[in-house]
Amino acid sequence: MIKKINKLIKSFTLNELRIGLKITVKELVNKKITVQFPEERTPISSRFRGLHALRRYPNGEERCIACKLCEAVCPANAITIESEMRDDGTRRTTQYDIDLFKCIFCGFCEESCPVDAIVETQIFDYVFESRKGSIMTKERLLEVGSQNEKVINQTKLEDAKYK
Amino acid sequence: MGFEQIIFYIFSFWFVVSSLAMIFSRNAAKAVLFLVLAFFSAASIWILLEAEFLAIILILVYVGAVMVLFLFVIKMLNIDKSTIKARFTGYLPLRLVVAIIIIVEMSLVLGPSQFGLDVFSVPARHSEDYSNITVLAMQFYTTYVYPFELAAVLLLIAIIAAITLVHRNDTNRKKQSISEQVNVQAKDRVKIVSIFLPNKKEK
Amino acid sequence: MEVWQTFVKMVHTLVPWFDGTVAIILIIFIKAMALLIPLMLVVAYFTYAERKVIGYMQLRIGPNRVGPKGWLQPIADALKLMTKEIIFPTKANIYLFLLAPVLAIAPAIAVWAVIPFDEGIYITNLDISLLYVLAIGSIGVYGIILAGWASNSKYPLLGALRSAALLVSYEIVIGFALVTVVMIAGSVNLNTIVQAQQGGIIYWYFIPLFPIMIIFFISSLVETNRAPFDVVEGESEIVGGTHVEYSGMTFAVFFLAEYSNMILMAVLSVIMFFGGWHSPFEAIPYLESVFSWIPGMIWLLVKTTFFMFLYLWVRATFPRFRYDQIMRLSWKIFLPITIIWIFVVALMTQLQLSPWF
Repeated sequence: MIKKINKLIKSFTLNELRIGLKITVKELVNKKITVQFPEERTPISSRFRGLHALRRYPNGEERCIACKLCEAVCPANAITIESEMRDDGTRRTTQYDIDLFKCIFCGFCEESCPVDAIVETQIFDYVFESRKGSIMTKERLLEVGSQNEKVINQTKLEDAKYK
Repeated sequence: MGFEQIIFYIFSFWFVVSSLAMIFSRNAAKAVLFLVLAFFSAASIWILLEAEFLAIILILVYVGAVMVLFLFVIKMLNIDKSTIKARFTGYLPLRLVVAIIIIVEMSLVLGPSQFGLDVFSVPARHSEDYSNITVLAMQFYTTYVYPFELAAVLLLIAIIAAITLVHRNDTNRKKQSISEQVNVQAKDRVKIVSIFLPNKKEK
Repeated sequence: MEVWQTFVKMVHTLVPWFDGTVAIILIIFIKAMALLIPLMLVVAYFTYAERKVIGYMQLRIGPNRVGPKGWLQPIADALKLMTKEIIFPTKANIYLFLLAPVLAIAPAIAVWAVIPFDEGIYITNLDISLLYVLAIGSIGVYGIILAGWASNSKYPLLGALRSAALLVSYEIVIGFALVTVVMIAGSVNLNTIVQAQQGGIIYWYFIPLFPIMIIFFISSLVETNRAPFDVVEGESEIVGGTHVEYSGMTFAVFFLAEYSNMILMAVLSVIMFFGGWHSPFEAIPYLESVFSWIPGMIWLLVKTTFFMFLYLWVRATFPRFRYDQIMRLSWKIFLPITIIWIFVVALMTQLQLSPWF
């Protein structure tokens, strides 16, 4: 009986509503932890798998030897490679395309690469302006690599001791 | 022609047009909307006659509530136009007779002989602080208090009757008890049971 | 007024067609504009405030990109909505489809004609202004119903059906709640109701009518289709209710109507229960003289802002009600309480309980 009366009083004084309102007004004055994205960024792990890049050796020679291991291991069949013998007798790719619509960013290509040519960088905020843009050609991949070589080197070094 | 007269003719015109449109409209929803417009024009004319309380009540009750429920019902209906046409010709003679009777009765009751300036004098203009409600309330609660109360009781009876009609065969209805649902506490729903675990004893 | 009359005469000599009637129409127009333009601005910035306040309550910071601290956000929104294409659904009734937003906004703005902002500052001093507010406010539902019906679409129809029944039943609750106010004030004129609350905070009607005030506030949430009673829109169940098929400016008009209704309800609560334009420091010996320079309109604004904040606060706090629960709340809880309180108020008037009678 007393319980029932208690409940009645509570519901008529809007007890639970007041509790809810108290919580929200407390959060209103709390400090906000929002990260303002383009200006501020959250730290990214060195193992982050973002946009792909093809690397070069310090002397400017491209690393990729067209062994096609990445093409074979790719679970999404996103990589297409054509190769040719160059004049100096080495094998190099003539076409190296990654379809980013197919890619699932698993990182298998990077792991399978015997010469560390294809890597996944920490870049994640990229855009395509046409449907064609989703295909990363060899030139674009090499450009991404040369632009970010320092960062790529740094992150790969950081991660190396855990491999 | 004064400002007031212009307004009067505008609203009268709309009143007549929308009433006719209401009758001749094929679409039920459109007919309801034209009726709403007719109510509005009537209310505006009443306001010109300084009967603003009646005008507002007309809008509040008929436009605000009754017509909304009309629209509500019309939306639920799925009117088949072919059956309407078939029925229309079947009952046509009877309908014509009824229509003629109503027209004759209306013209007798509402005919020009009943109205006009020789029957009624021009409604007097009141001063700015004249309050329609006070006058009406004085009439309602003194002179006509018994009819007023009777009407109220009659409406109450109608409400109770409607509710009892709805609640007749209550036995087979599936319904939710909201007060029960609202009053549920966590401990009513979650039952904590201690389960006998034989493995523990063996260890 | 005499200055005005001489002005009219002067213009009349210059432009013959400018006589008394034209002057009346002109002055009505000017008055309406003086109300409408600030109202639309307040609505615009109310949406900004809503996004900010709810954002802060949800540990976000809300819009902060357009202009300094996001202050130009509502203008950007308005521009976006104005330039967007209006799409008509196939087989929709285009006339009614376009009439619906007009029917939503016209009453929402017309109601403001009788709201008193300060001693003697109003567009018209209607003797039955409270009834006028109720009557014109009840027309707003046609916008929603027609939007649902004319769209020729499932979800709008469901939303419209919900709103029709809800609004009609909550109008009864609001009507009964306001009857108590009318009983104490002895008038249905909003000016007189505010004037009756003169003389300090203890004269305000929220003290004798405290439960009615809460009921009025909750019912006004339903009337304006606000969370937690926004079953008409119900994003999670019926996608967006009556707004589903509307885009661009037609949608914006619905938006304006909803928000101006919300502000109106806030102003009404202040006028009914919190003394309208009266200062809260009236009849307090020292503070009264300190705050006497503040005009009544500012006090009305401050109190209204609090109620508007309350709308946002409630929206950020509570989950949506189920439809039948809202109906039960109206018919089984609010209506009996208001009727009981009418008897309580009648008793109080008979006993001449000061200071309210």
